[in-house]
Amino acid sequence: MSATTAAWLVLAAPLAGTIVVGALFNRLPGRSAGWVGTSAIALSFIFALITLAKLQQQTPAHRELTSTLWTIAGTVGVDARATILVDPLSVLMICVVAGVSTLIHLYSVSYLQGDRGYSRFFAYLNFFVFSMLLLVLAGNFILLIVGWAFVGAASYMLISFWYRRTTATSAGIKAFVINVLGDIGLVLGTFFIFRHTHTFDLVASFRAAPHVFASGSGDVTAGCLLLLVGAFAKSAQIPLHTWLPDAMEGPTPVSALIHAATMVTAGVYLIARMHPLFQLAPAAGDVGAIVGALTLLIAGTIGLAATDLKRVIAYSTMSQIGYMIMGVSVGAYTAGLFHLMTHAFFKALLFMAAGSLISAMGGVQSLNRMSGLRRALPFTFAAFLIGGLALSGLPPFSGFFSKDSILLFVAGRGGWHWALYVAGYLGAFLTGLYTFRMIFRAFLGEPCPEAAELIDHGHLFHPAAPTNPANGELEDTDVGFPGPDHVIAERAIPMRVAMSLLAVLAIAGGIVSIPKTTSWLDNFLAPTFADSTIASHTTNNLLYLGLILGAAISLVSIATAYVLWVARPALAPAIAARLRPLTTLFEHKWYFDELIDALVVRPGAWFGRFAQNTFERVVVNGLLIGGSTGLVRAGSALVRGTQSGLLRVYAGLMLVGIAGVGLYFLLQS
Amino acid sequence: MTAIARLHSAIVLLASQQSSLNHPRAPHIDYAAISPFEALLGGSVIVLLVGLLRSRFAREQLVPALTLLTLAATIAVTVWQWSDHISAISGALSVDDLALALTLIFAAAGAAAVLLSWRAQAPRESAHGEFHALLLASIAGMAILVAAQNLVTLFIGIELLSIPLYVLCATEMHRASSLESGLKYLVIGSVGSATLLYGLALLYGATGSTDFSAIAASISAGHSSDVLLLTGIALVLVGLCFKASVAPFHQWTPDVYEGAPTPITAFMAVATKAAAFGVLLRIFDVALIADNLDWGPALATLATITIIVGNVGALGQSSLKRMLAYSSVAQAGYIMGGVVVSTQLGASATIFYLVVYLLMNIAAFAVIIARERETLHGDDIDAVAGLGSERPWLAWPLTIAMLSLAGIPATAGFIGKVYLIQALVDGDYTWLAVVIVVGSMISLGYYLRVIAAVWMRDAPAPAPRSANGRPVLAGGSPEADTGGRHLEVAIVALVFAAATIFFGIVPQPLFDFANHAAASLTSFL
Amino acid sequence: MLSLVIWLPAATALIGATAGGRRVPGLFALLGSLASLGLVIGLIAGFNGGPDELHYVIDVVWIRSLGIHYKLGLDGLNLFLIALTTFVFSLSLIAANLREWPRTELFYLLFGIAQTAVLGAFLAQDLALFIGFFDLMLIPFYLLTGVYGGPGRVAATTKLVIYTLVGSLLMLAGAVALAVLTSHQSGQPLNFTYTALQATALPAGTQDWIFLLFAAAFLVKMPAFPLHGWMPDAYREMPIEVLAPFSGVLSKVGAYGFLAIVLPILPRAGVHFQTLLLLIGLASILYGSAMAFTQTNARLIIGYSSVAQLGFITIGIFALSSQSAQGAVLQMVNHGVVVAPLFLIVALLSARAGGSEDIRDMGGIAMRAPVLATIFLIVAFAALAMPGSGNFVGEVLILLGLFKTKMVFSIIAFTGVLMASVYMLRVFIRTMHNRAGPEVVSRELRWRDALVLVPFVGVIMLFAIYPQLELSRAQTSVTSSISSAAADAAPPASFPVANQ
Repeated sequence: MSATTAAWLVLAAPLAGTIVVGALFNRLPGRSAGWVGTSAIALSFIFALITLAKLQQQTPAHRELTSTLWTIAGTVGVDARATILVDPLSVLMICVVAGVSTLIHLYSVSYLQGDRGYSRFFAYLNFFVFSMLLLVLAGNFILLIVGWAFVGAASYMLISFWYRRTTATSAGIKAFVINVLGDIGLVLGTFFIFRHTHTFDLVASFRAAPHVFASGSGDVTAGCLLLLVGAFAKSAQIPLHTWLPDAMEGPTPVSALIHAATMVTAGVYLIARMHPLFQLAPAAGDVGAIVGALTLLIAGTIGLAATDLKRVIAYSTMSQIGYMIMGVSVGAYTAGLFHLMTHAFFKALLFMAAGSLISAMGGVQSLNRMSGLRRALPFTFAAFLIGGLALSGLPPFSGFFSKDSILLFVAGRGGWHWALYVAGYLGAFLTGLYTFRMIFRAFLGEPCPEAAELIDHGHLFHPAAPTNPANGELEDTDVGFPGPDHVIAERAIPMRVAMSLLAVLAIAGGIVSIPKTTSWLDNFLAPTFADSTIASHTTNNLLYLGLILGAAISLVSIATAYVLWVARPALAPAIAARLRPLTTLFEHKWYFDELIDALVVRPGAWFGRFAQNTFERVVVNGLLIGGSTGLVRAGSALVRGTQSGLLRVYAGLMLVGIAGVGLYFLLQS
Repeated sequence: MTAIARLHSAIVLLASQQSSLNHPRAPHIDYAAISPFEALLGGSVIVLLVGLLRSRFAREQLVPALTLLTLAATIAVTVWQWSDHISAISGALSVDDLALALTLIFAAAGAAAVLLSWRAQAPRESAHGEFHALLLASIAGMAILVAAQNLVTLFIGIELLSIPLYVLCATEMHRASSLESGLKYLVIGSVGSATLLYGLALLYGATGSTDFSAIAASISAGHSSDVLLLTGIALVLVGLCFKASVAPFHQWTPDVYEGAPTPITAFMAVATKAAAFGVLLRIFDVALIADNLDWGPALATLATITIIVGNVGALGQSSLKRMLAYSSVAQAGYIMGGVVVSTQLGASATIFYLVVYLLMNIAAFAVIIARERETLHGDDIDAVAGLGSERPWLAWPLTIAMLSLAGIPATAGFIGKVYLIQALVDGDYTWLAVVIVVGSMISLGYYLRVIAAVWMRDAPAPAPRSANGRPVLAGGSPEADTGGRHLEVAIVALVFAAATIFFGIVPQPLFDFANHAAASLTSFL
Repeated sequence: MLSLVIWLPAATALIGATAGGRRVPGLFALLGSLASLGLVIGLIAGFNGGPDELHYVIDVVWIRSLGIHYKLGLDGLNLFLIALTTFVFSLSLIAANLREWPRTELFYLLFGIAQTAVLGAFLAQDLALFIGFFDLMLIPFYLLTGVYGGPGRVAATTKLVIYTLVGSLLMLAGAVALAVLTSHQSGQPLNFTYTALQATALPAGTQDWIFLLFAAAFLVKMPAFPLHGWMPDAYREMPIEVLAPFSGVLSKVGAYGFLAIVLPILPRAGVHFQTLLLLIGLASILYGSAMAFTQTNARLIIGYSSVAQLGFITIGIFALSSQSAQGAVLQMVNHGVVVAPLFLIVALLSARAGGSEDIRDMGGIAMRAPVLATIFLIVAFAALAMPGSGNFVGEVLILLGLFKTKMVFSIIAFTGVLMASVYMLRVFIRTMHNRAGPEVVSRELRWRDALVLVPFVGVIMLFAIYPQLELSRAQTSVTSSISSAAADAAPPASFPVANQ
């Protein structure tokens, strides 16, 4: 079968999984729904590998295949077709997405057992994978937007999966609306491009772009900036990031898959995919780079202050994506995608471990309640540690190489990009700090009651009455509630398998591109980015500087974390107290929610209230209806007033009438 | 058919003998041409005589039957005379298609009135003979009026039309409101006639002729802006506006309509209006056509006032007869538009609308009469509440009539309105067309109220009776106590409603009829 | 052929009504509706979107003296609108058959007449005929609402019918004036057919005031801001089975009128008032959305949302570009297919929330009704024009066309898309998710309810995957109907509203 056929099958498998699981939601016994879903994704992964193999058989020049199934809308100059584009970039993405998804499905098979919405969960999850694959394979703007929106929808459905929790539903709508904002940015950006290229086909518009756009011309810049809006919304970049922390309301595997490994990196993919356009709009690229840098710093600081385990990881996701956005925006496409890949591995691993940890805590997520879980959860601890080390970029873990290659490229750009370089390493320090703050506080120290129960009596802690960790309200123990029983990795083979595989990848993922040794990834992606005009003048000195700096900073940060939270626990509060204004700023997440509330939500609500209470009543019903009818009523009253029934009155009016008519005619003469 | 033919010849014979007795030295009279008038007058005499008979059967069954027969004969001879223009009695009357067409309308209205009053109170209180004879006489007056070719015949026609009606309004003698309405009508009607008479005199003075064509000739010869003439026109206009109940000379209408026996009200609403507009066409679009730049705007203004007054007046009337009275005022305003434009199209539209008006109004009144006899609510709107579930065979005619009056498609009223608007736009009176449209918007307010009562309300509890066994409700008529369901009334309602729908879907015959009639006004060419 | 499509529903309904009985009238009405649906599907299958001409034309002189013809014709514009009409009416009739109605025969007779009138309005190729059907379709709904509606029904239905008839009476005057003036100018005898009226272009001034008369009728019908005053009461009182076709189909007649009648016949006025109409459209979008997310009555939320949607269609028509016009037509169909099931779902929800239609009394209904929840979610996503739905394609086409001609308007209009996502999800979450309301008794939808809803979902899916089905057939007619106006607009001739 040809590469494109395989690619279509990559899409078909998860869709079929969705339909099967969804249709038989109440007929599938036990955990079979989970197995069906997992195997569907596994199948899709296999097809992805086939696609990869087939693609590699082509000569590098011809590694850009498209295939169209049917025309969605082909009329009056619009060409919206169901076209897929198979090139190294999309193939890399489908491999990563399908691969990681398979493992997370596997993990979920056990983790979600006992949840009343078991099959619903896998139907949603398969649908998400389908959408994500559609997004990365799309060869037509419209199809891209469709996938783009579908992942948003899937993410909404999974965030508010436990829909009895008001926190979950509000988080869901928040995520969805911000994502729609992103969609709109994407669509408008597309309009700006279409305006000149007159086609929705990706390849065609990339071909046309250099001819129809002068570099840096207004429309292409506007278009790319709007595309960035889409990318920011999806990838939780400032200021459109506020939905991501709330999205942690979803089940932990969802956080692992959607809000760490795959969906949130769609923005990175978008910029990489659109690089022929972005190269014509340098200004847009700079904006992207700066926002990325800001995000990675701000997210890091918030991660330092957050106490909710999952939210800490969420903020670290934000900051890591900041790196990627910065990378692809300055032109380090390969490096950015490299980091995307490795991040997918270690962040998914971290979340899985966190999930197992939270299960052990009986659903509690607050770091303040956790301590000394190391002996209770040895395997989880190991996984968490590996993930953490990769995240904080300690050589030779995968994160080290990917992060480093981005910063190297940034440095190579020279000029004001040095600021980004500095920001990058500052961020690296923060990363190590908050990561190990989390690890140390959770695993070291005296065992907390939950841990003790697990160690001493060997069974999981179960809260008497389950409560919502977000707001502490009692759970409505019906559908849409995290199942009563919890599962930890130590007790579930599927979870262990998934986590071990990811751990391996997190350690060794960097192998695909080790400076001076391997450059598989670069060679693989070369055909796609061959046309990249952005040059980065890297020297060996820079390279070595970067490597040393990276290693040193990660070590120092981990050491600092050890001092602050293990060696001298009293120190951290003291510092926090010393820097009170700063810490409050961090704890309030830089007041972004409050800001958006004041700028957008309140005015909107006010307008709505005004329309409802004032305008509708006064103008629509008052003036338009009341006015006219009132006029008529008055007239009717007048007429009936004169209709007194008395002859003399009539006679009087009669005379008036006669006089009037007579006068008129006399005036004629 | 043969029966009717024989009867007709007999009547002709009779009438001819009478008139030959009365006027030995009369000028040559084409008796065939004026046979409709003969039929009507002769019929009224016969009916009067038969009414003197003793037997109850003769009075209560034979008299109405004979009246119907007379009207049938009239219709027959009218059809017989159709489409030959004869100027009879040395130019006093012109028996042309306009006259004949309108005569048909009168006859139809009269027939309906007879059927509706067959078992009504009014003819029993005043003797049947008089009642029907007066009716026929009034119809004859109308026929003469619309055939009039000179000012004198015109006035004769008007009086012959009006005087019987004054009496008819008061025929429910024991009911104060009936008497009152008769009196009111008499007083105001005579004021109107007086005004008209003045106007006619002035016209004669200004043009030195009583003959319409002569008047037209002398005006176009050029004293178009003579004060005498203009004053004459003004007074004639006012006089006729009384008959047509055009605002601000409409004030008698609601009271008289409400007070008069309902069958008579129905007859007046339709026939008198038709007669008035017939003569308006004759005078303004024949005799005074040359002067229409002077009177056109005046008529248009009156039409506007009428439309507005009529429509707003009808709102919130709980007495259906009063409501229909006001609505008739409004409709008069619409029809006036056809006269204003003074084109053949306008005349045709006028006649078309008069026919439509006949159909829908009779249907509406028939239902009201039926309910007056079935319920104790008289002509109050409560009388028709819940009709839809209770008496669908009465509900549908009323609904159709209201929809048609409001000008909803698939009813003749819609076509009529379209035709009027077309005539107005065609005659550069677009603004008046818009006024008509605005008027019909307002009119929805009260027509829909009736439909809502019919279909969306439940029948109310029977109204309390006062000591004399009559409903205490305002507008309640004593016909309430001659209870029972009268088939002929329902049939009239159904037939006229059906015709309303029929001509709403297949209007072409009506168009031909109206065009034909309008074509006899040669003055436009 | 087309006459059959039009008159079948009324005829069968009449037969059923005369036959009487408890079930018979409903079944007959349903059969007639289904039959004409079948015919229409046949028409779609046999339709070649080829050269721009009318198909299956019937042209008989109806009223010679007024030059009114009984002329019907099928083109790409009305093809899918009549499909929508028959489809929505058939399913609503199924829904209605699941209930007992007092005075059954009257109910179904009116229903049949209503469908016939709507179909006639779409297929008419003669202005007077169109107006006839346009007014006629109001009467059955007037009675249906007034007889079978909620407590405040009489006032509501009177308001509805007066409001709408005021508009259409103005249009009547405009139409007659149009025909007469045209015949004066061309010297031809009076003739109301579209083709005849298009043949001669009236002077700009005349076009303008006639245009305003037509616009009044159509904007009220849609309804568009600020002429939507009748909408809340009417929607609150109508029986859902009546409301579904009313909101799903009748609102489209106004939009259709703009596209099929006003723009071809009065192109210069269309250009002249382009900005005004675009502003009205925008206002409808923003205002409707704002109202939709402050309402708590589920019906009204959907009602105001359709005000917003019709706003989109309006700007689509008056962008005067072929793309947006195509989008507008597609959107008419989509909105009809989406809004009808929404109302039917509201009925099911209120049945589960103790009869209340206030979303504050609902919540947590998804618990025992996953299928219902899924259907609702799909329909809601389609309603908020989620990419991948047919509505999205429609809106993209509309906004793309507008973007080319009037970029600023297009960008503002996008806020409507955002707000749509807010209010649709709000109503979904407040009814299906969160804690269960006090009266809520969640239960799965029954098979017969599914029988009504599933076809809707199927069609929504169809248009999501293959909107080309409609677009390809509509293309030639749509482009030609706006071509003359678009040509006039080419040098941007639309004055700012201030100057009008």
